Amino acid sequence: MSQYPPPDQQMPAQMQQQSASYRKPRRQYIAHDFSNNQAPPSMQPDQAYNQQPFGAPVPSAPMDTMNNQFAQMNIGNQQQYQGYSQQQYPPHEARVPSAGMPVPLQPQAYPQQPNMYPAVDNNIPSQVQPGPPVPKIPLTPQMPQMPGQPAMDPNQGYQNSAYHGYNSQPAAAYNHLQNVDLLDKTSKVDPYDITKPPPPIILPPDTKVIESAEFANASPDYIRSTLNVAPSNPSLLKRSKLPFALIIRPFTHLHDEDERIPLVSDGVVARCRRCRTYINPFVTFIDNGSRYRCAMCHLANDVPQGLDFDTIKNVSANRYDRAELNYGVVDFLASPEYMARPPMPVVYAFVIDVSFPAVESGMVAAVAHIIRENLDRIPNRDGRTRVAFLCVDSNLHYFKLPSDSPITDSDQGDAEELSSDQLEMFVVGDTDDVFVPSADGLLVTLKDHRQAIDNLLSNLGNMFQNPKEMKNTMGLGIKAAHNLIHSVGGKITCFMASRPDTGVGALPKRDEQSLLNTPREGTLLQSNNKFYRTMAMECAKDQVSVDMFLFSGDYQDVASLSDLPRFTAGQTYFYPSWKSTRHEDSMKLGYELSKYLGTEIGFETVMRVRATSGVQANVFYGNFFNRSSDLMALPALPRDQSYMVEVKIDDTIGRKTMAFQVAILGTSCFGERRIRTITLCMPISSKASDLFASADPVACAAYFSHKACEKALYGNIDDGRQYLLKSLTEMLQVYKKEVSASNVGMGNPLHISANLRILPALILALQKHPALRKGTKIRSDIRSHAIALLTTLPPPYLMQYIYPELYGLHDMPDDAGLPDGETGQIVLPPRLNLSGQSLVAHGLYLLYNGETFLLYVCRGAISMLLEHTFGVSTIEEVPAGKATLLRIENGLNPRIHAIMDKLRDRPGSITYPNLYIVPETSEPSLRQWFASMLVEDQMDNYSKSYVQFLNGIRSNISS
Amino acid sequence: MTRLYVFALVLNTASLFIQVFFTVMYSDLETDFINPIDLCNRLNPYMVPTAVVNYILTAVFLFTGNWLSVIFMLPVILWDANKMYKNNHILDATEIFRTLNRHKNESFAKLGYHLVMFFYFLYRMIMALIDSE
Repeated sequence: MSQYPPPDQQMPAQMQQQSASYRKPRRQYIAHDFSNNQAPPSMQPDQAYNQQPFGAPVPSAPMDTMNNQFAQMNIGNQQQYQGYSQQQYPPHEARVPSAGMPVPLQPQAYPQQPNMYPAVDNNIPSQVQPGPPVPKIPLTPQMPQMPGQPAMDPNQGYQNSAYHGYNSQPAAAYNHLQNVDLLDKTSKVDPYDITKPPPPIILPPDTKVIESAEFANASPDYIRSTLNVAPSNPSLLKRSKLPFALIIRPFTHLHDEDERIPLVSDGVVARCRRCRTYINPFVTFIDNGSRYRCAMCHLANDVPQGLDFDTIKNVSANRYDRAELNYGVVDFLASPEYMARPPMPVVYAFVIDVSFPAVESGMVAAVAHIIRENLDRIPNRDGRTRVAFLCVDSNLHYFKLPSDSPITDSDQGDAEELSSDQLEMFVVGDTDDVFVPSADGLLVTLKDHRQAIDNLLSNLGNMFQNPKEMKNTMGLGIKAAHNLIHSVGGKITCFMASRPDTGVGALPKRDEQSLLNTPREGTLLQSNNKFYRTMAMECAKDQVSVDMFLFSGDYQDVASLSDLPRFTAGQTYFYPSWKSTRHEDSMKLGYELSKYLGTEIGFETVMRVRATSGVQANVFYGNFFNRSSDLMALPALPRDQSYMVEVKIDDTIGRKTMAFQVAILGTSCFGERRIRTITLCMPISSKASDLFASADPVACAAYFSHKACEKALYGNIDDGRQYLLKSLTEMLQVYKKEVSASNVGMGNPLHISANLRILPALILALQKHPALRKGTKIRSDIRSHAIALLTTLPPPYLMQYIYPELYGLHDMPDDAGLPDGETGQIVLPPRLNLSGQSLVAHGLYLLYNGETFLLYVCRGAISMLLEHTFGVSTIEEVPAGKATLLRIENGLNPRIHAIMDKLRDRPGSITYPNLYIVPETSEPSLRQWFASMLVEDQMDNYSKSYVQFLNGIRSNISS
Repeated sequence: MTRLYVFALVLNTASLFIQVFFTVMYSDLETDFINPIDLCNRLNPYMVPTAVVNYILTAVFLFTGNWLSVIFMLPVILWDANKMYKNNHILDATEIFRTLNRHKNESFAKLGYHLVMFFYFLYRMIMALIDSE
């Protein structure tokens, strides 16, 4: 039993009441679950939906046993979720051993991917273990170990059993559609729906070239389709009102070695002659294997000899062992014909604002210090990495960095030359044209100029200690940096604590106050100076990418500045009112900047999406430059962003499957050209119900987030909100009319398929997100930054950002916050709904949206809880606002720290979330911030609660 | 009067050719024969002149009291003036793929419009020739 509050007999009388109510939540869970079990089968969407993925009728006896298990094990939501997942896999457990086929899933092959698919970690190994010894599947020569998809597709179990256990089934098997009524009394938002894997892709037999290839389809970590069953014709897609788009996340980790993607390094890159698709697991070999049929355009291509012959060892090889025929995500080492020029080195140009606000906030010294500390983390395996430093106030400051060992020729020891080779600073006055003061020494290799760089960075803080310059000409600074590196390409990193207000790229102050909360507010999100767009194009052309680190507390015009990263594949990082004296601020910057510098980014990259003929990737969303109608150009390839591609179907597809291949060709930071291919293949159906049954709510929410942000950026914010509401309404309307029409019961239900039931909550949360929220006056800088995140975050982090995670800390289960006995992972407490109903008057809650933690202390929290958490005895003493949680040697405090560390540990993100403590007695703005995250509640007159929102939609549909 | 319509006919033909050029360029972009930056660099210099040609023509009609011709000219000059007022008459390479359909439709519409106007001016020119004899 948990410790808070202490046992009843030790408590004063007035506390006992609290204690009762304090335990209530758990009882509620149990009550809730039992009620689920007693309900008729139609009320059990989870079970029915997951139990019969192949459309088979539900056998009643197993269902009952399942229910009993379910009821017995029910203690909390966490376990409820586990129970859910176990149900998800019975076909696998039951069928695979009896079929005697290779079992794909090996417990050790599952790396820890805690935040994404908990079901994978917790359940599958235990499912597999009782079975017979697991034979290994054939491995590639390059991959001596089990293949390296970091988080595997948990759906593979389905696919395999679909083949081996159910070969007698009809070829086309689809996910079973199960209606749920969103407005039913028993149905409420289940936050665990968000982290569930998408509905499985059930491929018809003979789709894959190697039937036993478990990872032929790329894992949903890399690519998620809004529909896992493709519509067979354009009119069906249009009629269903469902979006059809791919959410692509090229990398899941910041470092290559953490990802373990199979690499084809022998230079054999087989591609279709016509559509240029790379060879993939969905090709078909014909003519005795001498030719293969392309999976996209069906053209017969010759099989290259290299596929059957190992040129390195000079022996014949088995083509079925090759990675590109076994895995959906594969890296190819590109041969010289994929290079327009030799692979470029890593280049960083740091442009640092040294005007008064920057120096005063301590940003200059902090940034210089952090860069100096992390010089070794910048990828530099080949020793070619180059850096340049520029400082900007109303003038430009160039730094000429001398070499560590300047004399390498015969005339060494020339003392005069040595003395002249010192660090030099050139100040160039405020001009609109870039004047380069020195031909060399401005962009230098990190390896050979280390002393000078160390020297410069350790003195940078002092150099600009007493600034008189208030103005900043960052536009010119970026132009100068671009000029320095444009012949090579690379990354420009800007650190800026004020609005550029002189020279080219000056941004006049906009009258923010008078526009906020008016229809014209959207204009604040649009660029105020064409310079940044033009510059972005120049940069994109020269393979230069720009990242912005913005620090201002005043209006900084993030909207205009974020245009540069948006079109050069960069990112905007925003630290409003940053101060180096505040420990939390410097901690956050230090952590994020060091991760940023250590990231193994790529350069001069292009990304293309190819699809089955008759289908095309149509519109692209994300941070990149659209260089031609189907080509995304990314001057630098970040590892923490994702992209969206809208799919257009031109005419009826006459095949059984539809395939997509994302190909990303770029220079890695190790000086290689690499091609990453991500292949996805899905069945086709001509029924709207199949589309609904296989729609992925997370991908759909990501799609709507991109579209709504686009509407907000190029129209006004209200358009974005209206778009969200309209899309959801139309979708539910179609569902009612076309899919669930046959079984409309009494009343006026609002039906949706069980897999999509979380979508309305996500749409509502999007409407209330700071990027799009109506009413409350949100600074346009905050909005712009939120839009930048909404359009770039990879799906799992995007979901956290839209629908934050809420945990109750005062009544955690005994194991929460402690390492799990088997996996060693910290166990998280059960997730709560984002609603005031989840809160009790004496609680302590942790809310996490990926960017910040909010620790909410309710007024009635007992002093022991406060003491064990904050080391104070009354709520008034709890520090409010941005703070660091003290470390106390006590049962609860270390567990909270452990939970926060666990949540902070996101392998694909550089963000370090800060903690804000929000006592219920603190100032209203803080409390309102917390309240605004409880998206299922009505916050003000402009917003609707979840039930109001659904009722509104229902009345719209019925009328 | 004859001279006026000959002048109008010449300017209109110029506009017509420019619109043909625009349409061709847009479809080139669609089929990836040209990249968006080059496209914008090539088309943007013509954006203001094409509008100015129509302004001049309208002004001339206005001063010579050809009210019917002024009315026929109005749609296109209002359209252009509105675009210039909103400051989006210049193509933006970063947005071009998002707005390509709109630009193409506009270009087609203008093409049609100038074609109709060509025959209208031709007719007026011939009428003026007949009148003067």
